[in-house]
Amino acid sequence: MGKKRSDIYSVEIHGTQDLEKTDKEDEEEKYKNLKGNKKKSKKTDDLKKELDLDDHKLSKEELEEKYTTSISKGLTSARAAEILARDGPNALTPPKSTPEIIKFLKQMVGGFSILLWVGALLCWIAFGIQIAQGVASAFDNLYLGVVLALVVILTGIFAYYQEAKSTNIMASFSKMIPQQALVIRDGEKKEVPAEQLVVGDMVEIKGGDRIPADIRLIFAQGCKVDNSSLTGESEPQSRSCDFTHENPLETKNIAFYSTTCLEGTATGMVISTGDHTIIGRIASLASGVGNEKTPIAIEIEHFVHIVAGVAVSIGVLFFIIAVSMKYKVLDSIIFLIGIIVANVPEGLLATVTVSLSLTAKRMAKKNCLVKNLEAVETLGSTSIICSDKTGTLTQNRMTVAHLWFDDQIYSADTSEEQTTQSFDQSSQSWAALSKIVTLCNRAEFKPGQENVPIMKRVVVGDASETALLKFAEVILGDVMGIRKRNRKLAEIPFNSTNKFQLSIHETEDPNDKRFLLVMKGAPERILERCSTIMINGEEQPLDRERAEAFQTAYMELGGLGERVLGFCHLYLPEDEFPDTYPFDTDSMNFPTSNLCFVGLLSMIDPPRSTVPDAVSKCRSAGIKVIMVTGDHPITAKAIAKSVGIISATSETVEDIAKRLNIPVEQVNKQDARAAVINGMELKDMTTEQLDEILINHSEIVFARTSPQQKLIIVEGCQRQDAVVAVTGDGVNDSPALKKADIGIAMGIAGSDAAKNAADMILLDDNFASIVTGVEEGRLIFDNLKKTIAYTLTKNIAELCPFLIYIIASIPLPIGTITILFIDLGTDIIPSVALAYEKAESDIMNRRPRHKKKDRLVNEQLAVYSYLQIGILQSVGAFLAYFTVYAEQGWLPNTLLGLRVNWEDDYYNDIEDSYGQEWTRYQRTYLQWSGYTAFFVSITIQQVADLIIRKTRRNSLFQQGLLRNKVIWLGIFSQIAIALILCYGLGSVTALNFTPLRVQYWFVAMPYAILIWVYDEIRKLFIRQYPGSWWDKNMYY
Amino acid sequence: MSKEEKKPFSQTMAEWRQFVYNPRSGEFLGRTAKSWGLILLFYLVFYGFLAALFTFTMWVMLQTLSGDIPKYRDRISSPGLMISPKPDTALEFYFNKSDSKSYTEYVSTLKQFLKSYDDSKQSKNIACTAGKLFEQNEDRAVKQACQFNRTKLGSCSGVEDDTFGYAKGTPCVLVKMNRIIGLKPEGEPHIQCSPREEGKVQITYFPDGGMIDLMYFPYYGKKLHADYLQPLVAVQLAINSSSTKEDVTIECKIMGSPNLKNEDDRDKFLGRISFKVQMSE
Repeated sequence: MGKKRSDIYSVEIHGTQDLEKTDKEDEEEKYKNLKGNKKKSKKTDDLKKELDLDDHKLSKEELEEKYTTSISKGLTSARAAEILARDGPNALTPPKSTPEIIKFLKQMVGGFSILLWVGALLCWIAFGIQIAQGVASAFDNLYLGVVLALVVILTGIFAYYQEAKSTNIMASFSKMIPQQALVIRDGEKKEVPAEQLVVGDMVEIKGGDRIPADIRLIFAQGCKVDNSSLTGESEPQSRSCDFTHENPLETKNIAFYSTTCLEGTATGMVISTGDHTIIGRIASLASGVGNEKTPIAIEIEHFVHIVAGVAVSIGVLFFIIAVSMKYKVLDSIIFLIGIIVANVPEGLLATVTVSLSLTAKRMAKKNCLVKNLEAVETLGSTSIICSDKTGTLTQNRMTVAHLWFDDQIYSADTSEEQTTQSFDQSSQSWAALSKIVTLCNRAEFKPGQENVPIMKRVVVGDASETALLKFAEVILGDVMGIRKRNRKLAEIPFNSTNKFQLSIHETEDPNDKRFLLVMKGAPERILERCSTIMINGEEQPLDRERAEAFQTAYMELGGLGERVLGFCHLYLPEDEFPDTYPFDTDSMNFPTSNLCFVGLLSMIDPPRSTVPDAVSKCRSAGIKVIMVTGDHPITAKAIAKSVGIISATSETVEDIAKRLNIPVEQVNKQDARAAVINGMELKDMTTEQLDEILINHSEIVFARTSPQQKLIIVEGCQRQDAVVAVTGDGVNDSPALKKADIGIAMGIAGSDAAKNAADMILLDDNFASIVTGVEEGRLIFDNLKKTIAYTLTKNIAELCPFLIYIIASIPLPIGTITILFIDLGTDIIPSVALAYEKAESDIMNRRPRHKKKDRLVNEQLAVYSYLQIGILQSVGAFLAYFTVYAEQGWLPNTLLGLRVNWEDDYYNDIEDSYGQEWTRYQRTYLQWSGYTAFFVSITIQQVADLIIRKTRRNSLFQQGLLRNKVIWLGIFSQIAIALILCYGLGSVTALNFTPLRVQYWFVAMPYAILIWVYDEIRKLFIRQYPGSWWDKNMYY
Repeated sequence: MSKEEKKPFSQTMAEWRQFVYNPRSGEFLGRTAKSWGLILLFYLVFYGFLAALFTFTMWVMLQTLSGDIPKYRDRISSPGLMISPKPDTALEFYFNKSDSKSYTEYVSTLKQFLKSYDDSKQSKNIACTAGKLFEQNEDRAVKQACQFNRTKLGSCSGVEDDTFGYAKGTPCVLVKMNRIIGLKPEGEPHIQCSPREEGKVQITYFPDGGMIDLMYFPYYGKKLHADYLQPLVAVQLAINSSSTKEDVTIECKIMGSPNLKNEDDRDKFLGRISFKVQMSE
């Protein structure tokens, strides 16, 4: 379906909205074929096959010919303009959006709107007939019809506006600073907006740039690109102008649109732009993944069905009853209108939208930006979260985690805000080690950051060096000063053949004329070059025992998934290396062996400090957290363990095998709670095997997975009937994000494609924010239940008058207009106020709701609201009605059967119970007083209803009456609106309100109190006898 | 979430049948017999209690009311006017003076209406002082009623002409003022009728001048004032021969009393009434 999530932000309350189904059917077809394949890996293969790209094989001359361009001079401006006109701008086509008018019309016909349209239509029909018959009151029906139509149109406009508003939020969010590209045209270098690039343009890129199009490199120097958003490889990929691989995705001489150039420079020819780029193709593939209805949309649809079902069946039933009671068909139609209006909670859908957007706002404050309002609740029903590791669970920066010197492992502080390090720093070995860390390091702070906390300073240099620099800065302070005092004389940077880095310095001790050679690198390589080892500041021979100690430490740190570096040094003898000694790094005229080993430092991208807590919250909330990462299994497992995704006591099959010393095959898989699955294994798995893993293991880590495999994992989880949340940042994550019930894109690291495909954007990239989002989502589900229960209750009190009116032929107790004033007036603010209600108990301590069993509106809720509290309310309101009539001279027994005469316009001397005679208008005015009394009584009892709906299980006293202040605002508004209607607008006849005697406000009060007492008793029994008959039937 | 597949119709039917009666669990409409029993018992008790409570609160409310006069009379501060006979449809009289069938209903209604004004029925009533309100002592359990003799209605009394003028083409219509407990008209209230178009009809009033005597007020209510007869004004219409077969609209108002309203915007019957007469020959 081409329905783009990014376009549909409002609540889809109506269920019936698959209007756009067809517009991308083909796409879907194509995609289905892709994913229908048993061999999952085929998906990527297909993608690769689709690329009939051979530009990487061509020589420069052939390229020039093919694109009629010149490598040295580029295109001419005229030619570029021509091609631009032909190919269109170099930008991804935004997802096709639904025409505004369709969106608007959809709001007009969805949900209850149809029912109300029918009501309005019936009104107009009745008006037409009556006007033909010359009935004086015919215009009432015309007005009512107009009012109903207005209600539909206004609520439609409201919903549309809500939708448009969130669209705008997103639009501003995704708006980016226009990218510039350095292009050679007409033989000159110039900056043009990247959108205007065309095929054949020569562009120059340098470190830090985003690649502006798919580019065939012509010239490259030390160029490295980050392809992670495209292929999931997190390591920088070097790029050159050589054709290295048949596959365009693998070859080194092509750089892809939207990836970033990390370092170096390059010049290349644009070979495809916009939607024709690889990214463009993936984006269109992602848009082919169907969107499912969100759980809350299904719930609301279910609820609309229930209410509409009740309305239609009662309406039809009473139409038949009315006709068989010899009412005129026209009258029966008018009754039908009343029944429909009474049954439909006109304001509810708007209320739900408002509640959801309030929660969305609250979530945005907690760094969860929700694009699609419905996703607010989806997050709450999440049962599996598939989370990325890097940046989401971790801080996304290398940090020194452990040190090994003096034959001992020390842990370093890896929290986000480290200011000191508390390990033992008194040893001479540490002094030596710190010196190497400080000096043998090319990373530097960008200037002008003296006041920025060390951890937040921007550093020029690679991840490991940055980690070491910051580590040294925290402990020693003023690293740059130290480096200045220990002037660097020579340096060999790290490279992959040497696997070490070396530099030679003067020492800051003026009395010591020796030079200091410092070296760091892969531990085993460093150790090879050493003959001694420093223990407590003393150089000792590196014997077998010491070497073994080193091995143990190295293995241990490596086993933690950390990147380990070895450090060694050597003071060059003063006699051999005098002041003026010419160090030459090419000839290496200085010793690089027999050095003194000082220690090891290990680094890791440490978990965010809030994550372990969040993971354990998920666990108690019954949410399974699955880690999906491209990292090495060992690192992945280590992080999973440290954040609790794999709990301390859990073992994988491999762990058990190791512990029992038996082959992996012999281990009973049921014993292993945890599992670490390698991407390679996943590739060869059948659907059944994957399902088995997902079912049997509660703690799962997928390592070395490509973003494409994420989709397979998501689908697997969804087969278990789970509601799946998936985090992602890369372009390649977008199919998984779309497929997931709720796709969560990273706000900082996320690509635009991911943000487009997602339902939610995590502004701080922090896993813990998801969990607070889940909490909000669960809360709103509970609160919506309360809102709906509150709203449905008074529908019975609005319906009963009509039924009694038809059956007992009494004067009409409440008018349709008055009903609308309750539904769209007094009740609106209170029902929104319930969205502010705090949770009754720890909602993060129960399992996620089962999407098929735990309905928003269940039988208990409907029955309790309709048949118990609703009836109670009706009885209370009828008491007020009878009181008003009786005190004016119409005793109840006189009223029975009075309807026909009462409504006769020419019968102007009807006798009341005391012998007085009333004109038609005097009766009508009394009838309006009756309406007003009935209205006031419902309002008063709705106050009680509002208060009882604060909790479903706890006593009000446990919940506290004052914690939710908005409820009081709701009650206040409710009464204020009623007062205004009654006394302020009492003289406007069209509204059918009359000023009411003060005491009538209190008639229904005993019933209001009864409602509260009864509900307290209900809750008491529910708490006292969990699982009992009462609990089962009364808890909603 | 997996897409919900469309279920085949037969399966849907089977599920419904399962829902209506599930032989395995013995469930009928989703509940077992015991469960149904319990729930019905619960609602029996619940609604029973509610019915009792409603009855009780209604009883309490009714106890606060007096049987003699209603608690409030503010909704009927001024009386409406009404005519007798009242045609079935709108207030439109259609009759043919030579066809007795066309007006028998009017005539019988009038006869029926005036029965209570027969002299024989008025033996208990007293002759009151004309022109003065007849206020009676609070303590009197049964209030006395003033006599209103049919003869006061002259040729519209039905005594001499038992077709009330319909046969002669001079139909009688009785105009009466609605009863309101405690109403004390001021001034000299009288009924004044006029055709909407001048000259189509001559109007004769009985009693003379359409006077409503103050002695018939105040009214004390059905229970205390059982014999009360409300004063009537008969209006005899002599329709000009030129205006037969035409609609003649007559408007009647109560005049001469400052506290009886007759020009309310919304209530077209408050102190006034209009009706149509169309007579054919």
